[in-house]
Order: sequence, then structure tokens, then C-alpha cells
Amino acid sequence: MAYQLYRNTTSGNSLQESLEELIRGSLNIYRFCDNVWTFVLNDVEFREVTELIKVDKVKIVACDGKNSGSNTTE
Amino acid sequence: MDQNNSLPPYAQGLASPQGAMTPGIPIFSPMMPYGTGLTPQPIQNTNSLSILEEQQRQQQQQQQQQAQAQQQAQQQQQQQQQQAVAAVQQSASQQATQGASGQTPQLFHSQTLTTAPLPGTTPLYPSPLTPMTPITPATPASESSGIVPQLQNIVSTVNLGCKLDLKTIALRARNAEYNPKRFAAVIMRIREPRTTALIFSSGKMVCTGAKSEEQSRLAARKYARVVQKLGFPAKFLDFKIQNMVGSCDVKFPIRLEGLVLTHQQFSSYEPELFPGLIYRMIKPRIVLLIFVSGKVVLTGAKVRAEIYEAFENIYPILKGFRKTT
Repeated sequence: MAYQLYRNTTSGNSLQESLEELIRGSLNIYRFCDNVWTFVLNDVEFREVTELIKVDKVKIVACDGKNSGSNTTE
Repeated sequence: MDQNNSLPPYAQGLASPQGAMTPGIPIFSPMMPYGTGLTPQPIQNTNSLSILEEQQRQQQQQQQQQAQAQQQAQQQQQQQQQQAVAAVQQSASQQATQGASGQTPQLFHSQTLTTAPLPGTTPLYPSPLTPMTPITPATPASESSGIVPQLQNIVSTVNLGCKLDLKTIALRARNAEYNPKRFAAVIMRIREPRTTALIFSSGKMVCTGAKSEEQSRLAARKYARVVQKLGFPAKFLDFKIQNMVGSCDVKFPIRLEGLVLTHQQFSSYEPELFPGLIYRMIKPRIVLLIFVSGKVVLTGAKVRAEIYEAFENIYPILKGFRKTT
């Protein structure tokens, strides 16, 4: 399971999925250090069945853990 | 003097009118491979037609001189010998020989002659540079394929010239990944040119993903500037392109089985392992992946020209293995 996380990081010949995400979607910045992922997204739409939330900037901090990752928005 | 000494033994049968098979003696014979009576002259002008005319004029002059000399000798012979008629016949046939040999070599001199005999010698055999057959044409001009492989990936390396703290870079730079447990380098990406860099703590860096040599260099410089702005004394030393990958489409299906049979010392084709034929070209040293669809991938080049050269080499071979069904 852990290997999937590193599929696009080990070699320079990677598929550059992150970069394609940058171009395609709204992913502005990403970072991975000390096993912690940080993403900054722009112009994001959170859609739930009943609600729709639009946001200019979302910062996601995700830690690797067995139970769950923690999320913070600003 | 009798008839037998004047002419080479093999030509005796041809001296008499009954023996001659053709109007003239064959021009080129074992003793006179380049014909007789014609010595190459330095070219005076560039017009080949006029050169031929000049040669004709020169030959006629030579023939006349030789004919005159022979006539004088023959007259002496006639006065001394009783076989005057035979001598005249010999001279006539010799004149014919030289006349014929003097004229027809022109047909074989399709190129202007640029050699001259050494002064003081009358060459029995003209200079070996004299062509006796038409100049062999250049290898038949097979048209270039008209297809240009497109570069897909360039891998290059550069030395930033200073030790780097990868954790600092990963924390402060944007779009960077650093997982030392998995891989001992920071993986950084930039949008323009769209590339990925592996940055090592030694200061060395690998830049991949660019589509041209210039883009690869530009991207490497951008990464170096990012590192520099983070406070490291980064330089840009020994930039070198390590590998170039190109691809193209020949637009027809290919019989890979046939190709691996005839080029087995270069090819390896294991369809159960990989659907493409791996062709390792020796010169230039390029590896080609050839697929049934006609798509070709070329890799291993250090310069763009190697990709192009390898494709021009393989294209006629692939045409020979085109699938007809």
C-alpha cells in the first residue's frame, strides 16, 4: 500500500502526474516532507448532496496515519 | 619483317580482312587494357563537349603523325622487302586499329580526365586513374523518408557546485517532494518548461522531461535559480545532455517476425515479454523500439543528429518489412 504513494516520486522518469494535475486542475502548490503532504488549491468547489461551497484557496495538510488524515482549511 | 612480328600474336588472326570479326580490332585487350594511342591530357576548359572535340583533334593529329611515320617506314620496307603488299595491309590494319581505338575510348570517358602522363615517358598504359568504365554512380539516391522523429524527452545533468540541505529545500521551495527513506533526493517540478528535477545533497542535479536541448538547459537554470534564492551558493557547472528520446510513425504496419529473422544480430523480439522489437543499432549507437503499428521509439542519443541518422538508417529496412495484408 505504501508503495502507491511513492509511485510518482522515485524516479525522474515518472509520469509527472503532479505536474499534470497542476496544469489540468486547480492544484497550485504541493509539498511532501517528513511524511506530511501539504497541498494548496485555488478556486475549489466542495460539493455535497445538499450544499455547495466555493472557496478561493484551500490548504490541505495530510499526515500518514492508520486512522485518518487531518484537514485544515483557511 | 614478316607479318607475325608486327602485331601481337593474338591479333594476327584479325589483321587479315577475313579474320576480322568487326570492322575494328577490339579496343581493349589484355595487352592494352586502356586502349592505345590516347594519353590523357590536362583539361583546358570546363566544357566537356569541347573536351571531347579536343581529344578527337589530338587523336587525329597523332594518327596522322603515326601514319606518316609508318608510311615512311613502310616505304623503306617496300624497297627492301618483297612482301610489300602484306606490309601495306599491316599498316592499313594498324591505322584502322589506332583509328578505331582512338575514337571509341571517348565513349568510356564519361568524366573529364585530369591526369597527365609523366614528362619524358610514353605511357604504354595510361595512368591508372583513367577510368575505363563509366564512373559508378553514387549509391542510388533513395529518397529520404520525409518523416522527422520528434523529440519527446531529454535527460541532462548539471553540477550546482555546493553542498545542499535537502530538508531546507523541501520545506521552503514550492512543488518539492522529499522522502529520504525512499529516495535520497528532492524531486522538484516547474511548469515552464514542464520538467522534473532530482536534486541531490552533493549539489548534483538531474533534469528530465524537456522536449528540446535548449528547454532542458533553460529548465536546469531555473532549478538552479530556485536553489540559489533559498540561500545556497549555486553555480551552473558541466551541464551535459545525457540522453535524448525521439519517436515517429512510419504509417504502415511492420512484420516484426521477419525483421528479427534477418537482423537477428541486432534485434530482440519477445512478444510475450514486450510487444515491441528492440533493435540495437551499432552506428549510431541507438536503441529503437519498433512496433507492429509502425510506431518507432528511438533512444540513447547524446545529440539530435543521432536520432535522425538512426531513423534514416532504419526506414528502408522497415519499408522492406511492410505488412501487405
